Amino acid sequence: MSLDNIPSGLREAIEKDHRAVRPLHPAWMRAMVAAAILAVVLAFVLANASLRADIDTLPMWLSWGCSALQVVLGVFLLSLALREAVPGNGIPLGTVRLAAATALGVQILVGIATSIFSPAIVMPGSGMAPGIGCLKHEAMMALPTFAVTLLLIFRALPLRAPTAGLLGGAGATVASDGVIHLLCPMANLSHVLVWHTGAVILFMGLGWVIGALWERLRW
Amino acid sequence: MAVDRQAEEQKLIELMIAYQKGDMDAFGGLHEALKRPLIRYLWTFVRNQTVAEDLLQETFLQLHRARQTYTPPRPVRPWIYAITRHVALMHLRTMRRRKEMLPDENLPEIPVPPEMDQLADRATVQRLLGTLPRAAQEVLILHHLLGLSFEEVGQIMGIAPGTAKVRSHRALKKIREHLAEEGA
Repeated sequence: MSLDNIPSGLREAIEKDHRAVRPLHPAWMRAMVAAAILAVVLAFVLANASLRADIDTLPMWLSWGCSALQVVLGVFLLSLALREAVPGNGIPLGTVRLAAATALGVQILVGIATSIFSPAIVMPGSGMAPGIGCLKHEAMMALPTFAVTLLLIFRALPLRAPTAGLLGGAGATVASDGVIHLLCPMANLSHVLVWHTGAVILFMGLGWVIGALWERLRW
Repeated sequence: MAVDRQAEEQKLIELMIAYQKGDMDAFGGLHEALKRPLIRYLWTFVRNQTVAEDLLQETFLQLHRARQTYTPPRPVRPWIYAITRHVALMHLRTMRRRKEMLPDENLPEIPVPPEMDQLADRATVQRLLGTLPRAAQEVLILHHLLGLSFEEVGQIMGIAPGTAKVRSHRALKKIREHLAEEGA
């Protein structure tokens, strides 16, 4: 096939950077990379921190069950984010909204259920200190997965980078919150809603902003 | 017709795989096979031949930079049209920021899907197509003119296939209503 019909400017630009490339792996396989980082972080935290004092008063489905559900949901959100990063593979906006609402909804429902089964504040907080502590821990746990996910997103070509970033932020924090749920000694709903749900919203916002900045630089 | 389209899609997949392996001629083949439909699609956004041709070059440059993001054996067209759409949208965003508008006399003919060609004379259909929201025009062009399935249209536009179908149906209905009003 002849290249004569291609405008010279375009042909020169292509010829300058002409080499074989390996196609990206499917989104679920790339999500496994992020999930592996997540698993290492979560295993490290679980091995080195003590479980919440009221863990025995919570039914299994609410302690380990909900924890597992949040981790699985987190990994699913990460794979959605990575799928969104491939052109022509975009997720319908309705699905994105549903995914974001589910991330927040599950986190809030787990908080409500926990406060019902363990209504007492196990560790009474003084001011904002316990909340800030939880936010810090959740952020530290989510950050490695979040960073790797963003890297994988931007190595592809997200056409709605803010949306992909938002889903990545939601996935990383929802999964991390699954483990924080087993560790945080505070069972009162206001603490969970402000600091734990707040962490999810914060990372979703952060993902959105980083995605928007990347989009501005890339395009 | 369906067999033709399948063969065409298969050819595009083969070209894309060869291109990813570093075959420059395969890039030429892709350019040759896609430039016309992509120009038509770009018209939907910019309505200016020169700008559409510039954006076509930009599209192929972006396509080259992102060639590793195509995963065989997925269909090539949704991948390429999604990049094309984004290049056009980014161009429109830049124009809006600079507050630049094309003068009216530069507005070219909007391509008319064959189904609508039978509804009235070409000029009338073109005029009515121009009154539709851009998203509706896009669906009509992608599905009725360029022959993409609603599923592919959804993948390109980031909407559900059902939404694409509804938009196409409503757009056609609106055009028929306008025609009926004008005929009355």
